[in-house]
Amino acid sequence: MSSVLDQLVNKPYEHGFRTDIETESAPKGLSEDTIRMISGKKNEPEWLLEFRLKAYRHWLTMEEPHWPNVKYPKIDFQDIIYFSAPKPKKKLSMDEVDPELLRTFEKLGVPMNERAALAGVAVDVIFDSVSVATTYKEKLAKVGIIFCSISEAVRDHPELIKKYLGSVVPPGDNYYAALNSAVFTDGSFVFIPKGVKCPMELSTYFRINTEESGQFERTLIVAEERATVSYLEGCTAPKFDTNQLHAAVVELVALDNADIKYSTVQNWYAGDENGLGGIFNFVTKRGLCQGANSKISWTQVETGSAITWKYPSCVLLGDNSIGEFYSVALTNHMQQADTGTKMIHLGKNTRSTIISKGISAGRSNNSYRGLVKIGAKAAGARNYSQCDSMLIGQKCSANTFPYIQVNNPTATVEHEATTSKIGEDQLFYFRQRGIGAEEAVSMIINGFCKEVFQQLPMEFAVEATKLLGLKLEGSVG
Amino acid sequence: MTTAVHPYIDALLTGTRELPGTPYAWLNERRGAALERANALSVPTTRDEEWRFTDLAPLTRLQLRGAAGAATVGAEAIRPYVMPEAGARLVFVDGIFAPALSITGADSDNARVAPLAEALKSHAGALEPHLARLAGFEKNVFVALNTAHLRDAAVVIVRENTACGKPVHVLHLSTQPGTASYPRCIVVLESGAACTVVEEYQAISPDAYFTNSVTEVAVAPNARLHHVKLQAENGRAFHIATCAVSIARDASYTTQAISLGARLSRYDLNVALNGEGAFSQIDGLALISERQLADTHTLIDHAFPNGRSVQLHKTIVGGAAHAVFNGKIFVRPGAQLTDSSQQSRNLLLSDKATVDTKPQLEIFADDVKCAHGATVGQLDADQLFYLRSRGLPEQAARNLLTYAFGASVIERIPVKSMVQRLERVVMAQTGAEA
Repeated sequence: MSSVLDQLVNKPYEHGFRTDIETESAPKGLSEDTIRMISGKKNEPEWLLEFRLKAYRHWLTMEEPHWPNVKYPKIDFQDIIYFSAPKPKKKLSMDEVDPELLRTFEKLGVPMNERAALAGVAVDVIFDSVSVATTYKEKLAKVGIIFCSISEAVRDHPELIKKYLGSVVPPGDNYYAALNSAVFTDGSFVFIPKGVKCPMELSTYFRINTEESGQFERTLIVAEERATVSYLEGCTAPKFDTNQLHAAVVELVALDNADIKYSTVQNWYAGDENGLGGIFNFVTKRGLCQGANSKISWTQVETGSAITWKYPSCVLLGDNSIGEFYSVALTNHMQQADTGTKMIHLGKNTRSTIISKGISAGRSNNSYRGLVKIGAKAAGARNYSQCDSMLIGQKCSANTFPYIQVNNPTATVEHEATTSKIGEDQLFYFRQRGIGAEEAVSMIINGFCKEVFQQLPMEFAVEATKLLGLKLEGSVG
Repeated sequence: MTTAVHPYIDALLTGTRELPGTPYAWLNERRGAALERANALSVPTTRDEEWRFTDLAPLTRLQLRGAAGAATVGAEAIRPYVMPEAGARLVFVDGIFAPALSITGADSDNARVAPLAEALKSHAGALEPHLARLAGFEKNVFVALNTAHLRDAAVVIVRENTACGKPVHVLHLSTQPGTASYPRCIVVLESGAACTVVEEYQAISPDAYFTNSVTEVAVAPNARLHHVKLQAENGRAFHIATCAVSIARDASYTTQAISLGARLSRYDLNVALNGEGAFSQIDGLALISERQLADTHTLIDHAFPNGRSVQLHKTIVGGAAHAVFNGKIFVRPGAQLTDSSQQSRNLLLSDKATVDTKPQLEIFADDVKCAHGATVGQLDADQLFYLRSRGLPEQAARNLLTYAFGASVIERIPVKSMVQRLERVVMAQTGAEA
């Protein structure tokens, strides 16, 4: 049985290929000149250059954080290409997109035209930092929704960007957020005006392509009063041996009665069995429930990356606002994950739910780190947290670091955590009924993660179920 | 003579460098090593993860000196704390042994209860593997300070396959303001032995002082120890205590740690399950109000297979008090079939009361059962309504529920007179909170 497990665990990375498209890259290294160059290439206004430079100067004064429960070699920030873009063409309609690029997405299982049409999904494709194709823009524009790349938004809607960029994650928030603020190249911008319910799921595919080019995405989603939006983000990356740094920043703003749902499936290259290569995924994600009765919900399925280090958070400022965090983090081989969430309750009667499922196999290290903070004015605040871990094999580890800080007596905070393994008895039960070990493991894992998968939009749920099956088959023995 | 890197520690170490040596080379050596570490270490700040919520600045502002000889304390001073059940009693006044107040004779066939100097004469062999060794001073400046001052200690040794029928009472009294005292206690249970030890801290002086205590506990295979710690320092005192426990194969260690007093108290309880099938039950209760801070850090280290640990930590926080709990559970590689559960329950009674709790699991073995939970809240509205519907005034109902919350820990103490005494204290305090 263990060989079956080994097979499953050791399944090679399916999406490991590399597209050869001519790219226009900046030289390696980071300095004010690099930032001026990025800003210049993108024809950015003066205030944005100022924003970047300010962040850069602040970054220089900061120290790399060492508190997470992960280990990695020191990153040489001068050895990274901070800008690379497919060479611009004059027209960018769907038909004129580089066929090589389209084939890449085909391989990844994103047949844009069909999928977009069939599934009603508008895909804003990001390929190495520059948005090259956007669909369904018009349909969205009709109801007043803006869904475009950050660069376009800077050009077309500077007042919105100026108002909201950095309002949730300030440029000096943390080491990697500061770096991102200085050098971010592209990302998505979504604006849902008052009272509009977004008619379709919005999704973006991120993909890192050029070797040694760190990606610094910047996503900003603003939902005005009574607006509703569901945003999907999925990631895969080609197989490289040098580590790649990914330091994204995602900001969400929800005004009165607005509702934002943000879902992620992350399957970047995790390195080989010995921990060689793989992506460093150091991400800052934060949502601000600014208005009363607003709601922000994070759902993530983290299966890739050599190191995952992120805490999608909610700042519950508006009275009666709601924060949610649903997470599945799977680590195998030498992968390391230190992930969780922060729920900062500031407004009255704010509520939050945390459901985290960690699965560690191989020699991996999986940590849940979370903060639930109830401010002195958050009367009637309520939190429920549940974080379950599953260990597969004797060489992995699972850790839980929940911080609970309560400054208001009317708050109710509950935290529960358990650790378990796939029992011989459970497997025996399945096999007795004619279900093979491989499938049994997959079913048990899916049952373990059910509460999270239920939160995912349909097509992601299917993808996620398959992904975990692929990654974990055969890890019990 | 070297000086400490931190002037505050340097001041606390005054006199230790001239401490007369003992006839035991190993003890002198350990004391010297601790002095060296105390010189090298600094006072932790809130920038240290382990001290994130506990600011020691008020302690460092306190001018302290060593206790100037044994104060004279009459028998009536300890009367309120006398336990009729106890078979032996060791009393320390400002960290110095008070023979006139102590009873060491009883149960001498099964157990040896004595101050360190006497115990060493007959039992140096039993103490040598544990004393100043279980409680590591490499990284902990307070353990290093205590060990550097090591001169007196309460010693409890229970012989192989015997039960010390009556509880042993170790009472520490603080009488002199502005002193730093270094109480020390070592409990050694030989294989198959059983015993109950009550460690208690009380004050006569109403002024500020500093108690820095270290307790070391070694439980040999199949032995059973029940350890009660009651901290009832005065409201201006600082109390920093470390307890290091090593539990051997199939042995068990049960403890209730009650924190009532001190302006700032910190208890580090490190329990190592160092043999297969070891068991530990760890209960804690902090009942604090006004501007008190009670910080409890526990580490339960499952190093061998089939270990079991159960932990319940409760806090009742009123006034502008601040309760901190950090409970670490470690399951080392190979500690398969470990079963560990941990609960942190916190009751907030006022607007300004705060709680920081962090139950923490670090697991390196796959076939284990570990669960932890934490809750923070106020009294349940339905329960209050129930009591009021039966005619209880609101305040009485609140007191009763608060008392019941704490009583579940207190009732586990195996000494009846102490349970009654604590029940009165809790009732009075919850009443005063109203």
